[in-house]
This record gives sequence, C-alpha cells and structure tokens, in this order.
Amino acid sequence: MKLVWDEFRDAVPLVFHGNPYLGSIIWFTVQVAVVATAIAALIGLPIALAIGLGRFRGRRVLHVLANAGLAVPPVLVGLLLYLLFVPTGPLGSLHLVLTRRSVFIAQTILAIPYVVALSAAAIQGLPPGLLNQARAFGASRVQLSVLALREARIGVIAALIAALGSTLSEVGAMVVVGGNLYGYDQTLAGAALFEGNAEHYEDAIAIGYVLMVLIFIAMCALGLLQQRGGGIRMRFRPAR
Amino acid sequence: MHPLWNELRRAIPLIVHQNQYVMNVTWTTIRVALVSTGCALALGMPIALTIGLGRFRGRRVLHILANASLALPPVLVGVWVLVFLVPHAPFGSLRYANTLTAVYIAQTVLALPFMVALVPAAIQALPPGLLDQARAFGASRRQLSMLALREARIGVLVAVIAALASTLTEVAAVIIVGGNQVDIDQTLASAIVEQIGNGTTTYALALGIVLLALVLVLMAVLTALQQFSGGIHLRFRTTS
Repeated sequence: MKLVWDEFRDAVPLVFHGNPYLGSIIWFTVQVAVVATAIAALIGLPIALAIGLGRFRGRRVLHVLANAGLAVPPVLVGLLLYLLFVPTGPLGSLHLVLTRRSVFIAQTILAIPYVVALSAAAIQGLPPGLLNQARAFGASRVQLSVLALREARIGVIAALIAALGSTLSEVGAMVVVGGNLYGYDQTLAGAALFEGNAEHYEDAIAIGYVLMVLIFIAMCALGLLQQRGGGIRMRFRPAR
Repeated sequence: MHPLWNELRRAIPLIVHQNQYVMNVTWTTIRVALVSTGCALALGMPIALTIGLGRFRGRRVLHILANASLALPPVLVGVWVLVFLVPHAPFGSLRYANTLTAVYIAQTVLALPFMVALVPAAIQALPPGLLDQARAFGASRRQLSMLALREARIGVLVAVIAALASTLTEVAAVIIVGGNQVDIDQTLASAIVEQIGNGTTTYALALGIVLLALVLVLMAVLTALQQFSGGIHLRFRTTS
C-alpha cells in the first residue's frame, strides 16, 4: 500500500506547482472540450429538433441512426478520419493528420450523437398537448423550436453534459488521428495514456486528478443549470 | 478516392482468408469481452440487487454514485489498476502488470458500472405493486431477488450488452495496463491504434471492419430486445 500512497503524494505537487507542461495540456483540453461541445450542439440541436418535432418520413430512421451513433467505437471514428485525412486520402490536401485541428474534429464528431440522440429523446418526451397547442396557436417553426428546447431543458442539458464528458475523457479517436503527440496535441486523457504507458505513474496520476476535477466542475456547472430548469418544469406541470 | 479503395481491396482478403494475426486479435477481443463482462455480472449483481431492492438509508446516494461511475474516464481506471499491479505495489507479487490478466481486471472494473447503474434502474422501473405484493406474501430475500431479476430481465440484458460493447471497444485502459503487446493482450481496438502508428493502414482497416461487425451484431440484438421489451411493457400496462 505504501507505494500506492507514495504515487498519490508525489502527484499532488505536480498539480499545485504549476508545471508548465501540465498547464498547456489543461488549456488545450478545456479548449477542445468547449469548442467541440459547442460545435456539436450547433450541429446536433437542429437535427434533434427536426427528429423531435418534424413530421416527415424517415424521422424514426434518423433517430435510430443517432442512437446507433452512440455505439460507434471511437477508434473506428479515428480510423475513418485518418483514412480521409492522410495525404493520399480524399481530404488529404487539408493536411489534417497529426494536427491539433484533427483532435477538435474527432472530438466534435464523437460528441454529436450524444447531443442528437439524447436531446431528441427529451423533446419526444414532452407532453404532446403542449406542442400541439403551440402549433394550433400558429407558432412559427422557430417559436416552436424555442419552446421545445426550453421545456425539454433538463434532457437537453443532460445531453450536453454527456457530450462534454465524452470530449473530456475520450481518447480512442484522437490518439489515432491526432497521434497523441507529446507537448503538441495531447489532451489530459491522452497525456494520462501516454504517461501511464511510459510508466511515469506520478505524472499519469497527477494528470488524472486534474481530469477528474475538470469533469467534476463541468458536471456541477451543468447540473446546476439543470436544477434551475427543473423548477420551471415543476411550475408547468400542475397547470396541465 | 483511389488509394482508399485499394486499401479496402487489400484489407478484405485479410478477413476472408482468416489472416492469423487478425484472427488472434479477434479471439482475444471476444475472450476479453466475455470474461470481463461475466466477472462484472457476478460481482455487480449483488450490489445492483442491494441498490435496487434494499430499503436502507443511503440507498439513493449509492445509486447516484453508481450512475456517476459510468462517467469515470477509462484512462483513469487504467492508471489506477496499473498502480496496484506494478511490481512494488500491493498486488505486484502476482506479476499481473502487462499481462492478459491485467486487461481482464481493468475491463471488469470498467464493465461494473453498467451493471451497478443500469440494473437497479431496471428494477426500480418495475411496477411498484409487484415487489410489494411479493414482500407481503412473505417472499424471502432470495425469492424477491429472483423475481426482480426475472421481471427486469430485459434491463439486465441491456446492461450486459452495454458492458460487452464497452469492453469490445475500449482502448485506453487496455493500452495502459496491458502495454498493447501483439499476440498477448492486444484487442481489436488497441491493435488499430498500433497499426495506424506503424503506418500499416491495411491491417488497421481489416481490424476496423471486424470490430464494426461485432459492434453491429450487438446493436442489432439490443434493438431487437428493445422492440421486444416495448411489446412486453405495453401488455403489462393495460392490465395494471
């Protein structure tokens, strides 16, 4: 047990002494998480609204596809992006392999299914009378979408939490397409993988702490938002 | 598009002609998935039943913790398992670091949250009268557990499939605790990472296709189960 404790103790100063190496990784990870989740929300929420509110053919197929997207192994996403981005590949001229940009792209693609599948489910779970009434009163498509998002806020925020969590802790895709290059395009999770593999346990554990703290902060922040949403929903229910 | 097409044309024969390497990795992966899911099922079921059926203080806290454990980054699990297994650590004398056993252990730890979080949720979703009635008729704890598991069997199966899918596609923990060694403890997902690193895209593609096939089979089973469970639920609803 002594060794485990020592590793634990040696890791703490690494975090608090502001190791510049660790600092740059944290900054990059936060950037990736925020940007990837935001872009995934921008792309995913309209799709989720279309699935949840639309009344067109193929809507259910889209939802099944989004659910299936949740199960796609990140490594395969990485492999696909790698094949597209290698110099000889279809998008090779963009020079994206082994760059920071490829990490952003990979994490965004992994986050989209969370936003689409979980938000669509939340919107479909709304009391049907609510949306029909809004439609009957002649709400425009934009108004209807805003209403649906506001009412399904708990589920939508849960979807964003899940997306953010995956962008913070997923490594499979970014290791393949970004190469997990030391000091360049490593996220915290990638760096922990790198250090753990190199048997630098203090570093790996230190990075692990920071990652856990980041995930915890993200969950708490969004969880608070969700709680506030809960109040609004409660107020709505008794009127029904 | 041409080079990509060529890769694909070279990758398919590797699978069709049962290339030794591809087959070995596939079998290791299936073994890891089955063994660790089995262990997680055996270890997790008592905990899941306690959370799902117990009526003690702190049960909700336990359930929240179980749900939170689903968000545990695999990289961290890998590092922590390894810290306990390295030669000087508490379990170091077992010499498990960098062996297939270490991979089994890490994957079991990763599969456990699915059992512990999803099974209680399924049990709690049972019609409340059912378990109360069994209790009122004096069912023993064992009988009650059997009843709950039998009625929530679809939920249990979903948890098992989720665990299988996660163990099939996990990379980070496998690489950290097992060292990603060819023919010893490499799984499909971690082998893809290595093959891309080596630049042997053809093998990566072949492994990727096999992995995708395995995941698709699991997802098909899951979808079928969910359709099926929808039917059961409906039948149950109308009688209550």
